[in-house]
Amino acid sequence: MKSFFERKKSDIGKTENTYKTFAFGSLLILSVPLWARLIPGNVIHMDIVNVMVLSGIYSCAVIGLNMLIGYAGQISLGHAVFFGIGAYSVAILSTRYSWFPTWLGVIIGAIVSFAISWVVGRPVLKLKGHYLAMATLGLGEIGFIFFREATGITKGTVGITAIPSLSIFGIEFDSNFKLFYVVWPIALLLMLFSMNLIRSRFGRALRALHSSEIAAEVAGVNTSKYKTIVFVMSAVFTAIGGGLFAVFQRYVNPESFHFSVSILFLTMVVVGGLGNVWGAIIGSIIMTFLPSIISALPYWFPFMPKSLTNFGNYTLVLYGLLLIVFMIFMPKGIAYALEVGYSSALRGMKRIRDRISALKYEKRK
Amino acid sequence: MLSLEKGVRLPVRLSERRYALSIFGACAFLLIIITLAAKKSTGFQWILSGLTVGSIYALIAMGFSVIFSSTRVINFAQGEFSMLGGMLMYTFNNYAGIPAPYSFILSVLIVTIIGASFERLIIHPLKKPGVITVVLITIGLSIFFRAVAKWIWGTDTLAIRPFSGEKPFRIFGASLVPQSLWIFGFTLFAVILMFIFFNRSLVGKGMRAAAENPEAASLIGVSPSTTSLVAWTIAAALGASAGIIIAPIKFVSFDVGVMLGLKGFASAILGGLGYAPGAVLGGLSLGVVETIIAGVFPSGYKDAVAFLVLIVVLLLRPQGILGRQERLE
Repeated sequence: MKSFFERKKSDIGKTENTYKTFAFGSLLILSVPLWARLIPGNVIHMDIVNVMVLSGIYSCAVIGLNMLIGYAGQISLGHAVFFGIGAYSVAILSTRYSWFPTWLGVIIGAIVSFAISWVVGRPVLKLKGHYLAMATLGLGEIGFIFFREATGITKGTVGITAIPSLSIFGIEFDSNFKLFYVVWPIALLLMLFSMNLIRSRFGRALRALHSSEIAAEVAGVNTSKYKTIVFVMSAVFTAIGGGLFAVFQRYVNPESFHFSVSILFLTMVVVGGLGNVWGAIIGSIIMTFLPSIISALPYWFPFMPKSLTNFGNYTLVLYGLLLIVFMIFMPKGIAYALEVGYSSALRGMKRIRDRISALKYEKRK
Repeated sequence: MLSLEKGVRLPVRLSERRYALSIFGACAFLLIIITLAAKKSTGFQWILSGLTVGSIYALIAMGFSVIFSSTRVINFAQGEFSMLGGMLMYTFNNYAGIPAPYSFILSVLIVTIIGASFERLIIHPLKKPGVITVVLITIGLSIFFRAVAKWIWGTDTLAIRPFSGEKPFRIFGASLVPQSLWIFGFTLFAVILMFIFFNRSLVGKGMRAAAENPEAASLIGVSPSTTSLVAWTIAAALGASAGIIIAPIKFVSFDVGVMLGLKGFASAILGGLGYAPGAVLGGLSLGVVETIIAGVFPSGYKDAVAFLVLIVVLLLRPQGILGRQERLE
């Protein structure tokens, strides 16, 4: 592994490249609602903008989790609880007090999540490996049981309905189209933030403690401090996602913050690519589109027998298999594969160009 | 403030492990006395049903322990073995009408084959996987099993006939269903069997050696591959039989595996991960504590107890009650 403490010329070149990719990628994502309208709904049988908003919401959480798992190497199986804290903050505050602005609810959710993750993170992050996985899983389950049982606050399994739509200074973001331009800029900002953070002293410290905690401490990295900070940061990102989730769904109930949602986040991180900022977004887009694609399949193939196209039954089977297959054959995720594919395509192009120019040269001779 | 001079020794020096065990014993004793004093026959009822559930947790926890000690893998699909066991038992016994003993053996056998083949096909080729890899693969497996079970058996809760009658008998004012006796008996049988296997048989002794030091064990001829396979086989068999014997009391549905697995894991941590007697102790105590708390507090919070215990134990004594310090990596 290369030393993270020296900055090379090639790295500087990469920096510009990253920003270029970022600009290109964000333009591509932000233009989706514009061209998605051109595709008639009765052809693809899914609401692309709707799914994209949801995947943007998940992206917020997954970007944070990717920092924690991919860069710092600390696993968490309980992030759904922070998602829930964000969502319930918005839901409770905005339904109890009608004057309460929903955007403030999102911020308060982030603050509550900050406080809880700070208190919890410090002791829990002393654990490593499987023990950390189990402790965070326990936290997630306790949070879920709290959401379900504290009926006085969260209304239990009934859930909180009629959450007002997001309004920022009088502008109502009541349609998916409008919400898209709130959710995705936030997700992309969080991504830009984490992209820059990773190439800073902080990010190098994280990667150092990922490869060896002892070595990092010897090099002067306060590992427990950095681990807590990255944990808190990922919790806050997730809570922001949760707050947006509440104003998107306009309805919350404990099922949306179950253990399986933590696993969904983890799957997004893995499918996209561990330790790759684009991976978080790619993973969440793919995993959010997957159920809609599966439910749209019967419409796409109407000539096939119903028992074969009724993929609703197989969604979970597929999901489990995907997780296993990705971990075995593609542990670096789709983003890495795309990168490799892109660079090898570039190399291939260059080789062809060289060959052509060589041929031209020979002809001239 | 009492100060001890250097070199002054306390009169009784308990080893750290005994110290933890005695504190635990005192707590357990106090809890039981308080419960009995406060509630008499209801308290006794709680303890009995706690022990019943605890035996199941103990069986599942032993499965976790066996796999962890020999391969350093946490199998998140352990609860799913129990679910599959229960489901297959329902199919063979209630649906196909095969007599209970045969269908018990048949279902355990099938689940064992599934567990062993999973180890051969997926875990074994990985060689030395990282924590995140293993966690995700076994979680993927558990999702897969759950989905397949939902697909085959649907979402209904299925009831299995008790092994011998449903007429409860009374001891000291508490009632006990005959199935509980089966559970106690089977757990005892499994513990004895495990004891004999790990202390008398060559493979078992080799597995213990491999748990202590895999490299040294492989030098003297203990194959890591066999160890891993045997561990997964034992874990699958334990999980399946636990799922089958609890099914007449708690019923079985496609999603029972999650909670059983998590509780089993909490028990294994509580007793000391990688140490089979610890798993039994952890399972029984978790079952009793959980049942008592469900009796006193609103029962919805029952499941939170296991995780609270899990986190507290992980923070205060990550090696568990009976575990030793060096077992932690």
